[in-house]
Amino acid sequence: MKPASDDADRLEALYALVLRLYPPSFRETYAPAMRQAFRDALHDRERPILALASLVFHDLITSLAKEHLAMIRDTLSRPTLLFNALVLAALATGLALALAVIPQQVLRQGADDPQIQLASDAVARLEQGVAPNEAVPAGSVDMARSLAPFVIAYDDEGHPLASQGQLNGTTPAPPSGVFDYARQHGEERVSWQPVLGSVYGVRIAAVVQRVGGPHPGFVLAGRNMREVEIREDQVRNLAALTWIGMLGVILVGTIAFGWYFRPKTA
Amino acid sequence: MANGTIPAAPLSPAVFAILLSLAEGEKTGSSPTGLGLWGGKHGYLIMKDAITPEGGGVRLGPGTLYGSLDRMMRDGFVEESGVSDDERRRYYRLTSLGHSALAVELERLDAAVASARALGLLPHGSRS
Repeated sequence: MKPASDDADRLEALYALVLRLYPPSFRETYAPAMRQAFRDALHDRERPILALASLVFHDLITSLAKEHLAMIRDTLSRPTLLFNALVLAALATGLALALAVIPQQVLRQGADDPQIQLASDAVARLEQGVAPNEAVPAGSVDMARSLAPFVIAYDDEGHPLASQGQLNGTTPAPPSGVFDYARQHGEERVSWQPVLGSVYGVRIAAVVQRVGGPHPGFVLAGRNMREVEIREDQVRNLAALTWIGMLGVILVGTIAFGWYFRPKTA
Repeated sequence: MANGTIPAAPLSPAVFAILLSLAEGEKTGSSPTGLGLWGGKHGYLIMKDAITPEGGGVRLGPGTLYGSLDRMMRDGFVEESGVSDDERRRYYRLTSLGHSALAVELERLDAAVASARALGLLPHGSRS
């Protein structure tokens, strides 16, 4: 069955409208010929209208995707454009990395601030001869749950003398390498994860300072890093989103620029 | 694929059907333009040829057809004949490279069919 002349004109007009979805350069070159081919098919008595509709629908989906991809490929395959896009992408990546790393470092270092003061005060008291039990602030802090800072005094061998911080009812000690470093350099700042199965995942922002004088030892001031790590994750996510956004802008901008300044064909 | 070279990989069904249609028109010398000379074939004629079993049985819509023709012109397989009976119709014909590409593809298919026949994979009495 063939459509009446008016219907055929309407279908052709509709097809002409759909042709506007093709990339401009392709459309400018081939739209009249495609429209003519469609018109020829409409008037071909051997080709049923339903078969033609099915063919054109399928053709639109596949060829639209193919021609737009070809346009993007042609645009991006121009060396100068591609080079500029890669340079911009590298800059965006560097910027996003900086956005992730710098705030993360600031947050991490800021997490040590109260501990530095607490450790220094405790060391000063111990070096003045105050007993460890009195040098360490009173009270008990659950290292796994509380976000409050705590202080622990150790002897020169790394055995706890007095502790404000508790983890499952015990006083943990950091690895001996931390004490060795503090012994040599006076202070060590570390992210300490106590290796206790029931509290796996607890991370402590710890400042360890050397105690001099007649009773040498160490003072560790620590604080659970839970909140700081949540903020670090937020910063990382924001940096990742910023990176994806910047890459998207570069891609769209490159395609738009490449299309606008595309080489003119005869 | 570089411009002006015959592809090592098999041709796509659309490209093969278009080459076959244009070669058939050239061979039979049919002149749709009515100008007496072989002026090539326009889009819808190629679409009609392609859908027949002899033409490859490929359902080509206008978008696929002209997209393929555009790439085939860039590859040097076809060219516009410059002859037209209607300003909206574009006529295409094979170049010598297009002839060569078609010949290479036909030889490849012929070898495959011969191999299948030797293995007894083709039913008796089938066409070669």
